[in-house]
Amino acid sequence: MTSRERVLTALAHREPDGVPIDFGGTAVTGIHVSCVAALRDHYGLEKRPVKIHEPYQMLGWVDDDLKAAMGIDVEGVLPYKTLFGFANENWKPWRTEWGQDVLVPGNFNITVDANGDTLIYPEGDTSVPPSGRMPKGFYFFDSIIRQEPIDDDRLNPEDNLEEFGPVGDDYLAQLAREAPAAASKGRAVIAGFSGTAFGDIALVPAPFLKHPKGIRDVTEWYMSTRTRRDYIHTVFGKQCEMALKNLEKIHAVAGGSVDVVFVCGTDFGTQSSSFCSAATFRELYMPYYKEVNGWIHRNTAWKTFKHSCGAVEKFMEPFIESGFDIVNPVQCSAAGMDPAQLKEKYGSRLVFWGGGVDTQKTLPFGTPEEVRRQVMERCEIFSRNGGFVFDSIHNIQACTPVENIVSMIDAVREFSSRSAKETHA
Amino acid sequence: MPDLSNLYDAILNGDAKTALAITKEAIAGGVNPLEIVNQHMIPAMDEAGRRFEAEEYFVPELLLAARAMKGGLQIIRPLLVAQGTEPVGRVVIGTVKGDLHDIGKNLIASMLEGGGFEVIDLGTDVSPDKFVQTVKERNPNLVCLSALLTVTMLSMKTTIDALKAAGVRDKVHVVVGGAPVTEQWALEIGADAYGPNAASAVPIARRLVGK
Repeated sequence: MTSRERVLTALAHREPDGVPIDFGGTAVTGIHVSCVAALRDHYGLEKRPVKIHEPYQMLGWVDDDLKAAMGIDVEGVLPYKTLFGFANENWKPWRTEWGQDVLVPGNFNITVDANGDTLIYPEGDTSVPPSGRMPKGFYFFDSIIRQEPIDDDRLNPEDNLEEFGPVGDDYLAQLAREAPAAASKGRAVIAGFSGTAFGDIALVPAPFLKHPKGIRDVTEWYMSTRTRRDYIHTVFGKQCEMALKNLEKIHAVAGGSVDVVFVCGTDFGTQSSSFCSAATFRELYMPYYKEVNGWIHRNTAWKTFKHSCGAVEKFMEPFIESGFDIVNPVQCSAAGMDPAQLKEKYGSRLVFWGGGVDTQKTLPFGTPEEVRRQVMERCEIFSRNGGFVFDSIHNIQACTPVENIVSMIDAVREFSSRSAKETHA
Repeated sequence: MPDLSNLYDAILNGDAKTALAITKEAIAGGVNPLEIVNQHMIPAMDEAGRRFEAEEYFVPELLLAARAMKGGLQIIRPLLVAQGTEPVGRVVIGTVKGDLHDIGKNLIASMLEGGGFEVIDLGTDVSPDKFVQTVKERNPNLVCLSALLTVTMLSMKTTIDALKAAGVRDKVHVVVGGAPVTEQWALEIGADAYGPNAASAVPIARRLVGK
């Protein structure tokens, strides 16, 4: 099987010739730039600065040679712009605080404040307040909340819709180039088009906007899902309308090259609880997901991908009803997320894209043998009858030992080759 | 005189305006501030925690209840200090060095305030030195450390080590919490307790201070 066939077979809930693997296809299945460099060294690949394609989480670009070395079956068409509002173009060198030489987009413009923290600017414009901060000595940015005082009498949903405009011709031209180029690699293509994530808390503070208006404070947004529900419905409704128009244009230029679309990354779970009830999910989110996923299924061959961290077992049934085909990251370390039970209850109707190894404990802090054991166990559970794409639970974090990442990849190979032998026997 | 049972309902319903209005009216009417806290605010936040545990409330409802409680508490706190009322205990709380996430930490701080504790919130990305300095200056019973990221969890250990090096570790109880944190991690780094969620904060803190 080609990589693409392997993924598509798994997505069709049939067993492929080996467990398909994704790393680097999306901003939730990525690898920290420091680990990308370590992997390149490990596999003896050409020494060169790694590109940071997602500066918020400092994700490194997984080049073709590394994909081949790791046996990756998925190719990503990444969003047009980074979370800080600039495009991945005009690469320039930068040395990180931990001393790694990397490449960053031309508009990756930073300053260092009195504490030694690194500040980054929306669209690279240093004349406006910064929208992200990386604490000194650490590895990721986080949004700086820029919330204007809220006057309920003057709140206008349009203020929370600034980022959801019509797609531009430049983006469509880029997609028309990049999607077929991705497909030509022989891997399955996953694309993130933006605009279809309803209430994604990483997007609410709008680190990509120079002067965000509306409700931009994370806590205020969460409270608003309860107290300003009409406002949120209006935002989601208009966002959905725009998304459907955009999807039509996007499909026209890139449709045939894409296999999976990353629809939404809104997190509904915490480690042990959730951000709303299943009933609220059905009332507040599901109508819009149904619209988007319904359009996709009626008009394209794309499979729909839903990311939600945390304890989301109770949302699996509503996810299915919403028209999602795939869930990620399958956080088995959260409450109620037992792998065997998830597979048993939902495995014939949902593809698990993730869940392969825990990134809170096992991968960063375990031994290579502990990683191997967990990967083998998860593959055994999730890969039965297809419906599984291997990925760690969310991005591989900074400071993860490279020998653990290699052990993870080797274990997937070991499992796949053992399964193949059993099939032939 | 307002019906103070409405304060309980206002906090539980996250109605900050009503909670503040009732609190002001009660104070103006001569109600003992301690009675407002002990008879109405603490039971309301206890009930909010119970509902969270029972999955009747979720993060938004808990945030709303905490905001409603804090509005009233802001005007009561100086009165309690003036009449020499001792809090149940004193807590220093913060998200550890390198970590900017604060929703969980803020919720725990609010639950503890709602449980009658005095809370000194140091914010996010708090250095071990800052924790040590505050412990020395404010003499708390508890130090609560929060982290969301695996790379910043390690700052919890650094902070506890700094408390030890400064000779103040034995003067405080250290509680750790946050998404990647586990009971086992708490034991490994020498914390006294692990807080799995917002609802557990007050019972754990009360147990540690023996009240």
